[in-house]
Amino acid sequence: MNASGIKVSLGLYTALFIIFLYGPLAVLAILSFQTGPEGGPQFPIIEWSTYWYKHLFGLTPPSRIAPLPIEQALVRSLGLAVMTMIVSTVLGVTAAQAFRKKFRGSGVVFYLIVLGMMVPGVLVGLGMALVANALGIDRHWWGTAFVLHVVYTFPFAFLVMLAIFNRFDPSVEEASWSLGVTPARTFRKITFPLIFPGVLSAMLFAFTLSYDEFSRTLFASGRDLTLPLAIYGTFSVEVHPNVFAFGVLTTLFSFALLGTYAVLMALSVRRAKRMAIQEEA
Amino acid sequence: MIFDLELNNVGKVYDNGTPAVIDFNLAVAKGEFIAFLGPSGCGKTTTLRMIAGFESISSGNMFIRGERMNDVPPQRRPTSTIFQNYALFPHMTVRRNVGYGLEVKGLAKAEREAKVERILATLDLEDIAERKPDRLSGGQRQRIALARGLVVEPDILLLDEPLGALDANLRKAIQNELKLLQKSLGVTFIFVTHAQSEALALSDRIVVMNQGRVEQVSPPHQLYTRPNTPFVAQFIGRNTVLSGEVAGSDGDDIVVTTGIGTLSGRANGTLANKGIVNLVIPAEAIEVYPAARRDALATAGTSNLVDALIERSEVVGHIAHLTARLQDGRSVSLEAHVDKYRPGDFPAGSNVFLSWKAAEATVIPAH
Repeated sequence: MNASGIKVSLGLYTALFIIFLYGPLAVLAILSFQTGPEGGPQFPIIEWSTYWYKHLFGLTPPSRIAPLPIEQALVRSLGLAVMTMIVSTVLGVTAAQAFRKKFRGSGVVFYLIVLGMMVPGVLVGLGMALVANALGIDRHWWGTAFVLHVVYTFPFAFLVMLAIFNRFDPSVEEASWSLGVTPARTFRKITFPLIFPGVLSAMLFAFTLSYDEFSRTLFASGRDLTLPLAIYGTFSVEVHPNVFAFGVLTTLFSFALLGTYAVLMALSVRRAKRMAIQEEA
Repeated sequence: MIFDLELNNVGKVYDNGTPAVIDFNLAVAKGEFIAFLGPSGCGKTTTLRMIAGFESISSGNMFIRGERMNDVPPQRRPTSTIFQNYALFPHMTVRRNVGYGLEVKGLAKAEREAKVERILATLDLEDIAERKPDRLSGGQRQRIALARGLVVEPDILLLDEPLGALDANLRKAIQNELKLLQKSLGVTFIFVTHAQSEALALSDRIVVMNQGRVEQVSPPHQLYTRPNTPFVAQFIGRNTVLSGEVAGSDGDDIVVTTGIGTLSGRANGTLANKGIVNLVIPAEAIEVYPAARRDALATAGTSNLVDALIERSEVVGHIAHLTARLQDGRSVSLEAHVDKYRPGDFPAGSNVFLSWKAAEATVIPAH
């Protein structure tokens, strides 16, 4: 194949990739502006409106369509994601730190940790429900589901930190020890600031994975639903564009999270650049 | 006498059973500048890391100023380490890097700052004190690392190939600075390098290592002129090593029968009088004569005459380079000022003979 042929097919491939990646999202975003309450979740758009956004916040006159029962679920999901993020990141950092030195059984432990993200979620969720029943433990989003979220997200945080430590130059720690600084203080003052960008990535992974988690939560969370479960629950009756409006808002929220992450990451880089400019001036 | 550093039969065996250092013995006096020299993988860095406490000691004992250090963690040893990559803290300014080690020493703030200020001045770092180290030049970062290591006033400064990352000119300049600094501070330096020029130029004594063992511990000049082992003879300087058998002695000299004739050299230390030996001839000791003068020299009683054929002859700047092939096929490279070997005196293809004074050659055991 000649060079321009390759170019065209690569371009086509990229276009398809982007369509499949953003197409579903774009459709939802467009349909969220369908008029209401009579407009349904399908094309064509009868009339553009922000009705469903207002409906989400209870700003529309009462109609036959009930408001999304998500307020509580949203709070629960955010709380669960934050808890999971903290615990998984701490576990991920400390576990990866342990793996910097070979220890007996490190291979087995590695696969045990990584197994948490490999095993089918529905089965683990179901298993957790059975275990909880057998032991007489009540299922709650902050209990049984939380444990499963940690088991699931901890391997991601762990792998991120493993990659970070892989590129980490241990001689800065040795330099610190050799100056008379204890390993604990060295970790706080030298190691942690240097691995912080990796810690942020691990936190982001744990948070978003937990926030979206469905299959594990389905059986393990008990009566009180998390957000993905609550939204799924509304599908069983009838789908209205208010779900799409909510989806758009959540996506924006995720972008905001990513933006915060990017800003935090860029901060150290920019600081270094500023130093360089001062130097050249 | 209490030494600054004493290593008694120190050994290191890695977890997989590979021995890295075997029976290392050394006693270092206060203020000495010691170089560990050897090819990569010889155990010199491992030994340094055992002294620093980054590697555990598998066998033997290590003392610093009389105190056993085997089980003391790095942060409680009176050493500091300078790394090849400097290992500066990228998130701290130069001043904080330098002062970092003092933060945990329990000094008053004023005293701490005074110490930092003094060492910054000594190493000419005041102008860049507020900068971050990542954009600074290799030479500057090198000096920051030195300042950071010295400000905590270690008994022993350990340097792991500290000049390795610098370009040749800078290396020369910093080499001199390092030597002056060490002499003025009087701190014991242990310096790991694979470059013999650095070791020869800087140190009071050189420890030559090979395959985990110490081959020789000597002052530079002695190491250069009187190698103890075949490895040192090959590794240091440019020596021609001929193996042969001891035939007898002639005054202070040992007469050796080699493949290219009966030759002589000075014995180094204790040498079994019989048996297989190596005759080590430094390139600097070898004189070249045109073949026509052979009879005259032989009549005059000049010993150690060896026939050779000039293979290559060229002048670079003011240095003449000659390559001569001996009868047994081996080549000997020689160089001298152009006044000594004038261009055209020894053209390629001409027959010559080589000679050296017996006192300048060394006879060592074959292994």
